[in-house]
Amino acid sequence: MKLFGNRKKEDYVIIIGCGRLGANLANTLSNNDGNVLIMDTNKSAFRRLDSNFGGLSVVGNGTDLEALKSAQIQKATSVIAVTNHDNTNIMIAQIARDLFHIDNVIARLYDPERESVYQAFGIKTICPAILSVKEVDKILENCGEKVHS
Amino acid sequence: MKKIRNEKVLLIGGRNKAKSLASSLLSQGYHVIAVNDSEEECMRLASIKGLNVYHGDGTKPYVLDEAGAAECQIAIALTNCDEDNLVACQICKQNFGVPKTVSLVSDPNKTKFFRQMGIDSVVCAISAVTNIIQQQAFVDDLVNIVPVGLGKVQIIEVHIPQDAPVSGKKLWEIDLPQEVVIGCILRNDSALIPRGDTRISADDTLVVIARSGQEEHTIQVLTGRA
Repeated sequence: MKLFGNRKKEDYVIIIGCGRLGANLANTLSNNDGNVLIMDTNKSAFRRLDSNFGGLSVVGNGTDLEALKSAQIQKATSVIAVTNHDNTNIMIAQIARDLFHIDNVIARLYDPERESVYQAFGIKTICPAILSVKEVDKILENCGEKVHS
Repeated sequence: MKKIRNEKVLLIGGRNKAKSLASSLLSQGYHVIAVNDSEEECMRLASIKGLNVYHGDGTKPYVLDEAGAAECQIAIALTNCDEDNLVACQICKQNFGVPKTVSLVSDPNKTKFFRQMGIDSVVCAISAVTNIIQQQAFVDDLVNIVPVGLGKVQIIEVHIPQDAPVSGKKLWEIDLPQEVVIGCILRNDSALIPRGDTRISADDTLVVIARSGQEEHTIQVLTGRA
């Protein structure tokens, strides 16, 4: 599945953590007619959501099994853990994958060293620092080409 | 004379728990290393003689590496945060090959999940404390119950009063529930492992192993009290 375009109607995405990344993902999915639920421990975090956000926003702790059950995690097709704490995201990812058998589980990890450990565990991770390095590299490469041509 | 052991134990996080556990393990002759992310806590830990203290986040691979996790046989995670304990134990196991990992968990619902995630031993302080409180509050003074095997089995210490119906009887004469075994009789400071024809006398203390749920009936049969 994708964020934009070709998505099945029954896809249901749960996002844990309504920071900049979480809110952006939720807004994007909602704007593309996706079913999305976003959870955060702090109610005021939901101010980052668009005024026309069409998904659900739930105050709750994403590491709490009861909170996840009431968010109907067993029906989710994807779970994305993007709280501010690496270890929290790791635990949510493992709960989603191993207790609720969700196929698509993604965790954002700030620490690249920890990322490599959990990739070895088979958890899909994204690390902003590494992504940025790649992006910077791409930009520099393009600049180099322009200078030389 | 203190026994010197070769095992190294790594303690991750924790305030008073780390301090008292470190002292106790050191007195038993273990090598103990403590990692703590609070500088203040490190200073307090450093006052313990013989304890190696590292300041840093014990959920980061390089901190565990510097602390020497690779040489440890046991890693014990004692922070207040369940996710930190999980990650610390998993990294100890995965990156540094620590053979035994022990984690404290505050949410009783996560005990099973932690074991599923490869933690060798999971200790839930809250269930342990509530069990003890329940036992102290509701059960007779003559009886002491310790749950083992995730609470599936209970080890019960029962004192036999003078007027108990079982006093003077042989073990095989007692009508105990099916899944209950009398494992040991404590009599006058000595412990004997009983056989079917061993006679119980008043003032004995019996150590009984019972499947959970059988303990009340067992105690009633042995002491004659409800």
